[in-house]
Amino acid sequence: MARKDFLDIVSLDREEIIHLLDQAKPFKDLFTRSVKKVPALNGKTVLMLFYEPSTRTLSSFEVAAKRLSADVTIFDVPHSSVTKGESVRDTIDTLQAMRADYIVVRHRLSGQPAAIARQTGASVINAGDGAHAHPTQALLDAFTLREVHPELPGKKVLIMGDILHSRVARSTSTILDKLGVEVAYCGPGSLVPHTRFKRFTNFDEAMRWGPDAVYLLRVQKERQEAPFYPSDREYHSVFGVTQERLKRISEEGIYVMHPGPINRGVELCDDVLDYERCLIPQQVENGIAARMSVLYGLKPQTS
Amino acid sequence: MNLFLKGGDVATEDNAPTRADVWIVDGTIKAVSVMDAPEGARVIDCAGAVIMPGMFDAHVHFREPGQEQKETILDGSEAAINGGITGVVMMPNTAPSIDSAAVVNRVMEIGRKCRIPILTSGCITVGREGKEMAPIAGMKDAGVLMLTDDGDAVPDAALLKRAMEYGKEFDMFFASHCEDPQLAGLRALNEGPVSYRLGIQGTPALAEEICMDRDIRIAHATGAHLHIQHVSSKIGMETIRWWKEKGAHVTAEVAPHHLMFRAEDIGDYDTHYKMNPPLRTAEDNVALLEGLKEGVFDLIATDHAPHTEFEKSQAFVDAPNGLVGLDHALISLYDRFVANGDFGWELLVKRYSAEPRRMMRLDVAEVAEGKPADLIVFDPNKATTVSKEFMKSKSSNTPFLDKTVKGSVEMVVLGDEILLER
Repeated sequence: MARKDFLDIVSLDREEIIHLLDQAKPFKDLFTRSVKKVPALNGKTVLMLFYEPSTRTLSSFEVAAKRLSADVTIFDVPHSSVTKGESVRDTIDTLQAMRADYIVVRHRLSGQPAAIARQTGASVINAGDGAHAHPTQALLDAFTLREVHPELPGKKVLIMGDILHSRVARSTSTILDKLGVEVAYCGPGSLVPHTRFKRFTNFDEAMRWGPDAVYLLRVQKERQEAPFYPSDREYHSVFGVTQERLKRISEEGIYVMHPGPINRGVELCDDVLDYERCLIPQQVENGIAARMSVLYGLKPQTS
Repeated sequence: MNLFLKGGDVATEDNAPTRADVWIVDGTIKAVSVMDAPEGARVIDCAGAVIMPGMFDAHVHFREPGQEQKETILDGSEAAINGGITGVVMMPNTAPSIDSAAVVNRVMEIGRKCRIPILTSGCITVGREGKEMAPIAGMKDAGVLMLTDDGDAVPDAALLKRAMEYGKEFDMFFASHCEDPQLAGLRALNEGPVSYRLGIQGTPALAEEICMDRDIRIAHATGAHLHIQHVSSKIGMETIRWWKEKGAHVTAEVAPHHLMFRAEDIGDYDTHYKMNPPLRTAEDNVALLEGLKEGVFDLIATDHAPHTEFEKSQAFVDAPNGLVGLDHALISLYDRFVANGDFGWELLVKRYSAEPRRMMRLDVAEVAEGKPADLIVFDPNKATTVSKEFMKSKSSNTPFLDKTVKGSVEMVVLGDEILLER
């Protein structure tokens, strides 16, 4: 089954997903040991190619690759010839000569990692492309949810917020769906497209659906060319986790997740971060294990 | 020249092919009937083949001047001949735009070196910028009949109205690429399940339909003739049908790819399926075919849009819109529709040869006694592989690349010259 690339969740089958999740577990166990490293990718080169600003995903991949003993190079896009107008295709040709085994790509355009994957024998890992996919985020989300709900089939997850512009919503809903979780979307009517998933435009109504976890999305201001809702203030009161809604969430024992970075006072109030069933810190930690599992499972065609 | 096409079936715009031999002497069709080969004539065995007039494509992008790496007028004209097409109308979105008599004259001068007639349209506004009216009378004198800002709509409805009021007095007609720019957004693909799956902002069909309705209303009010380009949606087709019933002077075209493909074909970001207007749904395919058979669409046109391999290899959003069509439009229409019985040869002749020439006020090509030779020999029993070697276009951006389709254009005769003989 060994794949060359890891580009999206859609093309994975359930068995592959379960395998990647199971494989992440021993990597996570490693983190509490004094030596947090295994020699799996010793002598391999991992190149980080981030065309979009990112701190947590970039660091998470970097730590993951280093814990697998790979050599990691971060291609400094903001200071590279890219700013002189070099096309992605030509950049990749140049990087090919450095013989990287793995290229981790983030790009503002949907489909750019797929285009790169066709051009190179290196394993390409999609670290987020436009509004298309963020498959390692989906994997860490499923891993995190599985830690608190080992029996995933039949569980309900409400994904809340800017669904239209969110690659996280697409990938995470796809992975949860493949694992038997019931997914519903909720948000402003202008930001929730009609898909095969249940659709709510009223938070309180969505809460009555009885979710086991609420997955909050950040409002993607940078992807919205025009306003989709009147103001952050109105968004918070209608679609945000206010103190009042948090109380209800807490009473019903619902977990809260968020891919970060958060917008305080928009999709959530400060108190959410102190809520005992808020899984945000676990998500960050599990991200490293999930990415180790992905890197470990791929087979570059570079030899 | 003394040529005898023996044993084929002759197709016209009104009738299904009927058995007839065609005798051509010095560029004129001397006889069309079942007869013995005249003495001294070169005999071509056409048994099983269909002889029909040369096709005419009223919507092509030849990229010259300015983007000769994609296509030149000469290469484009050879692609047309290769596909059985003996006349074309260029679109004016070149660099610089074809928006003045000077550029028109330059293009016509290059066009005269080609082996088929090359016509060009001219811009409605200077530089296709939608701000000032282009020098319409000057372009008319240089030979332009069709005015269009193809590639974009004229965003300012008042300017379009004034241009129509002005231009129709010079006996020009207008052609509209219909698109509300704000609703269209990124112009990468249709809005729907595929755009959501791929994470790219989609262009809804209503961006096209609203503008189409607007432009026809303006034309109807001013009395100008308006031609609607590359209609891609069911409601678009119905809009034109409605206006035709109202008696508006409107004609319309449909492109082969909008009849054949849909958004799902994009699969995993295949840029060969990226065009504008975008591929829409199966329901739209069906409605467009219905519109073609019913006569809502006066003509078929390819919107031949060459782009380099490099440009099309970029990420989906960055890759330019369009596909080439001239080399394979006719064979693919045969393969997809005529061979399946969806429509007959006479529809092809009417919609891809006669009507576009009528719109351009040209003599209609006919395989009939006394007419100038302008015909092709099409063998439905052969197949064509649309390889780069086969294509004469400088670019090969098409979903048909390396696919094999039924049918082959075996011969093209125009006037006293055999332009193609396979």
